[in-house]
Amino acid sequence: MDIFFNQLLPATFFLTTIYFHLARKNFGIAIGYGIQSLAIALILLGSFFDTRSLTLLFIIILLVTFKVIIAPKFFIGLVKKHEVKFSSSAYLNLPLSLIVISVLIAVVHSRVFLPLASLVPAHSELVLLAIAGMLVSLFLVINRKGALSQIVGVLSLENSIVTFAIFSGLEQSTALQVGIMFDIAVWFVIATVFVSMIYKHFGTLDITEMKQLRD
Amino acid sequence: MELFLIIGVLLFSALVCSLVRQRGVIEVISVSASTVALIISLFVALKVSTQGAYSPFPIFSVDALGAIVMLIIATVGLAASFFSVFYLREETKKMIVGFRRIKQYFVLLNLFLAVVFFAIMVNSPILMWISIEATTLSTAFLISFYNKPSSMEAAWKYLIINSVGLLLAFFGTLLYLTSVRTFGADGFISWEVLIANAGHLDIQVMKIAFIFVLIGYGTKVGLFPMHTWLPDAHSKAPVPVSALLSGVLLNVALVAVLRFKLVTDVFVGNGFSARLLILFGMASIVAAALIIFTQKNYKRLLAYSSIENIGIITLGFGIGGLGAFAALLHMIYHALIKSSLFFSAGSLFLKYSSTKISNIRGAIGAVPFTAALFLMGFLAITGIPPFGLFLTKLYILSAGIAMHPYAVLLALASFIVLFIGFLRHGAAMIFGEKPTDIKPGETNRWLVFPPLALLIIALYLSVHIPPFLYTLITNAVAIYSS
Repeated sequence: MDIFFNQLLPATFFLTTIYFHLARKNFGIAIGYGIQSLAIALILLGSFFDTRSLTLLFIIILLVTFKVIIAPKFFIGLVKKHEVKFSSSAYLNLPLSLIVISVLIAVVHSRVFLPLASLVPAHSELVLLAIAGMLVSLFLVINRKGALSQIVGVLSLENSIVTFAIFSGLEQSTALQVGIMFDIAVWFVIATVFVSMIYKHFGTLDITEMKQLRD
Repeated sequence: MELFLIIGVLLFSALVCSLVRQRGVIEVISVSASTVALIISLFVALKVSTQGAYSPFPIFSVDALGAIVMLIIATVGLAASFFSVFYLREETKKMIVGFRRIKQYFVLLNLFLAVVFFAIMVNSPILMWISIEATTLSTAFLISFYNKPSSMEAAWKYLIINSVGLLLAFFGTLLYLTSVRTFGADGFISWEVLIANAGHLDIQVMKIAFIFVLIGYGTKVGLFPMHTWLPDAHSKAPVPVSALLSGVLLNVALVAVLRFKLVTDVFVGNGFSARLLILFGMASIVAAALIIFTQKNYKRLLAYSSIENIGIITLGFGIGGLGAFAALLHMIYHALIKSSLFFSAGSLFLKYSSTKISNIRGAIGAVPFTAALFLMGFLAITGIPPFGLFLTKLYILSAGIAMHPYAVLLALASFIVLFIGFLRHGAAMIFGEKPTDIKPGETNRWLVFPPLALLIIALYLSVHIPPFLYTLITNAVAIYSS
């Protein structure tokens, strides 16, 4: 079981953050986000088996409902609705993007973030993995031109922070749980309202088409 | 009870605005709710000045800094509500907005005010984060209020940049919370519990945590280089919202930074956080000075001025002592004067139907009262005596000259550049020949009162600080400055 919860699921989480950079179709990004969220829900489930915390169970149900089912379904719906005009192009080409990702991962394992690895010595590698996930997700927000990719980047950043919280033993904190619930609610509104409004105004979700502010 | 009342009244007002169909009721209830909030805020501020931090429930606590910011929120909030009533009536006459939009506007305005009050009152870093995150949502809808491509673009930029920033702040907050976890503390962690436990956190971890918090909340504060959302959001939002963003939201986010600075300073020493605040403060001042000359839009000009002034406040807190005292005064003056300037800018927009500096000529002939207020605001914001911003800048520079001479000299040079840039734009707008198609006369005389009232308060506070406010400022400096 330990291999499943401490190796396979964290690896799935991290590989999906890398996959977001490799994916050329928004459909793949939406599915990838669902898989990433499922991995995190399962990691939290492992924690629930240890603690039997009902609040944690509530969070897991919420996470699965919104992040694993509703959000990817909503994104796929948008992709289907505006099929042709959706692109997931990036500012940097793939080789350059991979170089930047490698540098970010190297930075996380450098002396800069070393103190964070010592927070929970038993999970030091997993904590660093979560932080690497954060930086790689942040890079996705910066590097991608599509609004949908940017949203998934922000949501992936949030998933990385949740992963960090789990591996640093904060998953039972009421504070974290309230924070996660609220963030899910906020992004649900943003994803449903703003994405459609952007499409309505610009006819595309490519943010490079937004040139109204250049005065 | 008083604290609940403020939030309750504003939420009730939002609810009523969402239910009723009479515009007059929406306007009266919104202005009344803001008036009640101001009266209670004054009551709470007086209480805090005489009795110290006011904490009727463990989850709520208002200290001296909180009381000052509550007063700022309440004052600017009331002025913005009042101004919104008449400003939106004029926009309705011009067929810019309809009743449904007006209704949405007042619901969001009341919700925004409730949430920023909550952020200041709440005694938990996570609840403060949640409420600041909530402001992102309400303000994003207000920024996109005009439902035009440019306002949508500004709102999207605001959403993405601030969401990333706030998630980084959340990560920084979690790093601080790891210290409390080791003691099995459950539930909401107050600032006091955090300070009591933070000593068990590795100093390097705490430094990293503070950097994340500063960058995260610094995005909302509008510090360079995370400021990029600010000019767009300020220039595309309705002017009362721009006033609230500049006068209220930036200060509330800065309070979050200062509270984490307090936790960090207790264990790391003040040098680390002070250096970072000075660095970001200076960078913001210099960036604003370099950009202000090339501005073509007067709302963006005011937005860059906000970046400069928030930089000055951050610099003052970084320097500490007299610098922090001046920074708090600067926060008050800036909130009042900048809001006044945005309101006057709104009246100019109604008259000229343009936000381009090159299209505004001879304002003194077209809208004499508004132009006079705009000019006074321009002079005040650049630090012309007798307005207090002159003294606060002087105090901050004199407090920092011994320890940070190069930073002070650079700041001084930037102030000169900003002064010239501001007056160059201001003079071009106010004087000269007005376009022939512009009829002279104020668009609506009620629109003159909010900016006038704010300037009078700023002028009064520049020559006399009431004893209760002086006590609050000195108490806040004693807590938040080494």
